[in-house]
Amino acid sequence: MKICTRQICFIMLAYTVVSKILVYPTLLSSLCGRDLWFPALISFAVQAMVVWAVSYLCSRTDKTLFQLIEGTLGNICARIIYGLFGLFFILGTLMPLSEQKLYVHAIFYDTVPSLLVFLPFFFFSVYAASKKLTNIGRSADICLPIFVLSLVFIFIMSLMEVHWDNFLPALKTPVKTLFGSSLATTYLFFEPCWLLMFMGHFKYKKWDAAKITASYIGGGLIVLFFLFVFYGIYGEIAVSRQFAVSKISLFFPAIDMLGRIDLVALYILEIAMLFALVLNIQLAVHCFVKCTGWENRNALSVIVNGLLLAFIIIFDNKYNDLSIVFGKWMWIVFLLFATVIPLLGWTMKRRAK
Amino acid sequence: MVTLEKNIKGIKDVLTSQDILVFEFQSSEGKRFAAIYADGIADKQLLGELVVKPLREVKKDAKLDEVKMLLASPEVKDCKKIKDGIAEVSDGNAVLFVDGEKDFFIIGLKNPPGRSVAEPPTQITLKGPREGFTEDIKVNLGLVRKRLKSDKLHIKMLKSGQRSDTAVAMIYLDDVVQKDLPEDVEKRILNNEIDLIPDSSYIAQFISKKPKSLFKRNGTSEKPDIFCAKICEGRVGLIVDGSPIALTVPYILTEDLQAAEDYYAVSYRSTIIRILRVLSLVVGMFLPAMYISAQLFKIQLIPFQLLLKISSSISSLPLSPSVEMFLTLFVLEVLNEASIRMPKYVGLALSVVGALVLGDTAVKAGIISTPAIIIIAFSAICLYTTPDLVETTATLRWILLIVSGSIGPFGIVLFTAFIICYLVTEQSYGAPLLAPFAPVVKSDLYDSMVKANMNKLNDRPRSYVTRDKVRFKAK
Repeated sequence: MKICTRQICFIMLAYTVVSKILVYPTLLSSLCGRDLWFPALISFAVQAMVVWAVSYLCSRTDKTLFQLIEGTLGNICARIIYGLFGLFFILGTLMPLSEQKLYVHAIFYDTVPSLLVFLPFFFFSVYAASKKLTNIGRSADICLPIFVLSLVFIFIMSLMEVHWDNFLPALKTPVKTLFGSSLATTYLFFEPCWLLMFMGHFKYKKWDAAKITASYIGGGLIVLFFLFVFYGIYGEIAVSRQFAVSKISLFFPAIDMLGRIDLVALYILEIAMLFALVLNIQLAVHCFVKCTGWENRNALSVIVNGLLLAFIIIFDNKYNDLSIVFGKWMWIVFLLFATVIPLLGWTMKRRAK
Repeated sequence: MVTLEKNIKGIKDVLTSQDILVFEFQSSEGKRFAAIYADGIADKQLLGELVVKPLREVKKDAKLDEVKMLLASPEVKDCKKIKDGIAEVSDGNAVLFVDGEKDFFIIGLKNPPGRSVAEPPTQITLKGPREGFTEDIKVNLGLVRKRLKSDKLHIKMLKSGQRSDTAVAMIYLDDVVQKDLPEDVEKRILNNEIDLIPDSSYIAQFISKKPKSLFKRNGTSEKPDIFCAKICEGRVGLIVDGSPIALTVPYILTEDLQAAEDYYAVSYRSTIIRILRVLSLVVGMFLPAMYISAQLFKIQLIPFQLLLKISSSISSLPLSPSVEMFLTLFVLEVLNEASIRMPKYVGLALSVVGALVLGDTAVKAGIISTPAIIIIAFSAICLYTTPDLVETTATLRWILLIVSGSIGPFGIVLFTAFIICYLVTEQSYGAPLLAPFAPVVKSDLYDSMVKANMNKLNDRPRSYVTRDKVRFKAK
């Protein structure tokens, strides 16, 4: 066994949150205004059900996803599906990677830095992605306390400034817009796929499905709380506040005296963000190892990261265009891979435990 | 019949050095003997008292067994091969030949020059035992035996070093240690051929599965109480002749955050001190790098009032912040190195020159700013709160300086993530280096950043495999 339930729970809690507190709040506030929490609630509710379905599936089989597909559809099909998942994880990394690049430029530097300052990320990514699933689990063990400490610190600095009346009157946005916003932001949700990849790599124990789902719901609730805090502070001008996590603690009175101490928390939180970002790349490499049967993880990691590097260079300064493309068209792909296919796991031949 | 001269020649032909002495004597009835020993490392007084004096009474026709019965030395070994005799003489013992006999005796007279047991300079404590290991393996083994009287204590003597033939004692508790661990360690030591083992750090490299890594893979201790505690936790200990630093494996990083005193003081105080140690470690490594990053890339990190002070002190500096910090750290490292190497009395003058002349004058001359000196000095002090990790942390500080000067704060975060990613999968004989944090080992957390009361520390560490899990039961 390479990973344990506790580590999966940590991933579901911490990585879910850190991947949704940069652009997601601003995006939702631009789409739904004060009702931004509702599309998030819909998304999390749907994803939580899929997470539960997948984690419950884990209790019914001790096979990995690859073995499950192989047993039902044959080895070739399993390789093709894993290849497709590999591509999906790369696709799923594109937007968060672009977000991360812009975030790094905005938060870590006073001046507008060149693209070059972000490129060392790929050294880290190549190294991390070449590691096996053990590394993902143990990194999560370190990331959870980092995440909790820094986020609590940021929340403490922000809560005083929240104006709860910013959410009134509630739910005045048309229902179509609310559901449409949920669909448009689907490209930020791929947690069931993470779980799908961990299937068979951890020893299922009683109540594990409940623990994993509860962790995910916990992560969702933190994101919802974050959305409330963010919109509660900025109200209608929230749409112009990019990188929400770096903005909510700006009005903390002690900052005048002590300087931007919130930046220290943000820098620490960035470590968890980097690991969350690299998780998709690690899983992409994992999928390609299974797909190709080529055990040279280092080479595959270099190839995957090379593709992502090329993407970042080509689409530098094209974030808004990409955002439109992903929001308008890519939701179908994400819905398919992150919601439909995980549920299809139940139709596969699974050996009872 | 083998003559005494022939036996002596057998040894002297090989050991031709002039410090190999031959002492020939005879009993009152004329039985002849010869003792061969290395001058300086064998105890001549004991030779006289325990060997020469009793043998005065030996009869002319006495057999070897009768001679042996008269020897007063507690360490007498029969020997047949001249080769073994040569090895024992080189080791400091004496060889005793009896005229007319082919076989001979090895008399344990080893007494090499060395210092007496004293408080180790690197692990000084206010509370608790003050004894420290010395360079003599026999003394060190005695210090261990004094504390661990268990019949399960195994001491296996190994030899390493083709020319030095250095004794290495492998120590473990047979009923606690992981089953194959001693064999694994032994194999790693014996698989290496080297001329000389001057210190245990050589053995540390032999037993490390990744000797090139910046992070060590074995624990070190100069204090027998700590060493014995680690043995009781199911580790294998190694004491090397000629070195006061004992080694232990498996190793986890948190070991170096623990000090002997933590276990002798109130647990609340120990917890505070440990947290302080971790914070100091982080500050010591990251502070100079963050200072450069703040100046070069993100000035908002510095409070406004402090920023005014800093800007006034750096406004006329001819050097960039990173070069200034490099220079200051370079001076610190040079002073540090020189103060260790220089003779004591010159060292006193050096600290005056270093602190007053270099520091004060450099600031007055406008070459280095005061904040840079304060930051580097504070960083140096912080790192020494965990002296066992200084080699690693001081190196990381240099790397962080380079990264922050070139990439800025994002580089620092990225490098930290890289180090975490590296450490989480590294192991020392099956013990994850970052345990009990990654993977989380709940019971071991009570003796990590937190030092719980003894009642909570019922179990031996579970970060690695031990056979007997329980170490404390309250009755």
